[in-house]
Amino acid sequence: MTMTNPNDDMLDDLFAQARSIDAKPSDAFLARVLADADGVQAAMQPKQVAVSGGLWTRMLDALGGWPAVSGLAAATIAGVWIGVAPPSSVQDLTASLIGDEVSVDFFATDFAFDTGALADG
Amino acid sequence: MTLSQDPFSGAPDDALLIAFANGDRQAARYLTARLLPRVLAQATRMMGNPSEAEDVAQDAMMRLWKIAPDWRQNEAQVSTWLYRVTSNLCTDRLRKRRGALSLDQVAEPLDDAPSVPAQMQTRARMTALSDALAQLPDRQAQAVSLRHLEGLSNPEIAQIMDISVRSVESLTARGKRALADLMAGRKAELGYDDDQPE
Repeated sequence: MTMTNPNDDMLDDLFAQARSIDAKPSDAFLARVLADADGVQAAMQPKQVAVSGGLWTRMLDALGGWPAVSGLAAATIAGVWIGVAPPSSVQDLTASLIGDEVSVDFFATDFAFDTGALADG
Repeated sequence: MTLSQDPFSGAPDDALLIAFANGDRQAARYLTARLLPRVLAQATRMMGNPSEAEDVAQDAMMRLWKIAPDWRQNEAQVSTWLYRVTSNLCTDRLRKRRGALSLDQVAEPLDDAPSVPAQMQTRARMTALSDALAQLPDRQAQAVSLRHLEGLSNPEIAQIMDISVRSVESLTARGKRALADLMAGRKAELGYDDDQPE
C-alpha cells in the first residue's frame, strides 16, 4: 500500500516485535526478588508472631478460604485471627495452647470443635 | 469445608498483598510468581535490554513490598499500580539516556547460544526503539509504551496515568509521530528497506 507512511510501517513492525517479547524471570532473579520480600517482612515484624509457615493459610481455610473473607478488610481478618489465636502476651492457658504447634491439629481437615478436647489437651 | 492444597490460588492480588503485609511468606511467593513476569516484560519492552529491565523490575517489586502495609483494598488495583510504577521507573532511567548515544552499550547475548544475526538484529532494533522513547517527554513515552508495547486500552492507560482519555489519545498520537520521525534515519541500519519493513 503506497499510501501508508513507511516510517509508520517500520514503527508498527518494531512495536509488534517488542510486544512479542516475553521475558521470563530467571530462577536467580526470582530468588533475588523473593529475598527482597523476605527482608521487608523481617523488618516489618520485629517480634516473632505466630503467623508463619502457613498458619494464616490454615486460619483462612477454617473460615472458608479466600472467597469467604475476600470482602473483609485486613483489620477484620486480623481481628478474627487475634480472637482465635491471641498474642503470647495474653496470660491465658487456652491462648498458650493455641499459640503453639497444637494449633496445627486444631485446624485439621476433620476437626469438629469440641470444647472437651481442649480441656483434656 | 475442605483443607485446600492451594488456598491462595483464587485470591486476588490485593488480598495476597494484605496477607503479605501480615507476615505470610507464602503470599510473597505467590505474588512474586504472579506479578514479576508481567513487570519484567513491561520493563524489557521499554528499556530494550535485559539487565536494565531487571533493575527496574526489582525496584518496582521492592516498592510493592514496602507499600503493602498501607494498601487499602478496593481503592486501586495492584496491576494498575504496578504499570504506573514500572512506567515511571523506566522513564526515569530513559531520561538519563537523553542526548547520549548507546554506543557503549555492548549488546548482551539474549541467551547462552552463540550470537545469531537475527538475534543481534532484534536486539539492535529493540535498543533503537528504547533510545527513541528516551528522547520523548516522559508522558508521551509512557502513553505510547502502554498503548503500543503493552497493548492497553485508552481508558486503562488513563487510569494508570491518572489523566483523561482525551489526554491519552493526544499523547499517544504525538508520541508515535515523534518516534516515527526519530527512527526514520535508521531504517537501513535496522534492516528495513525503503519500500517495506522486513
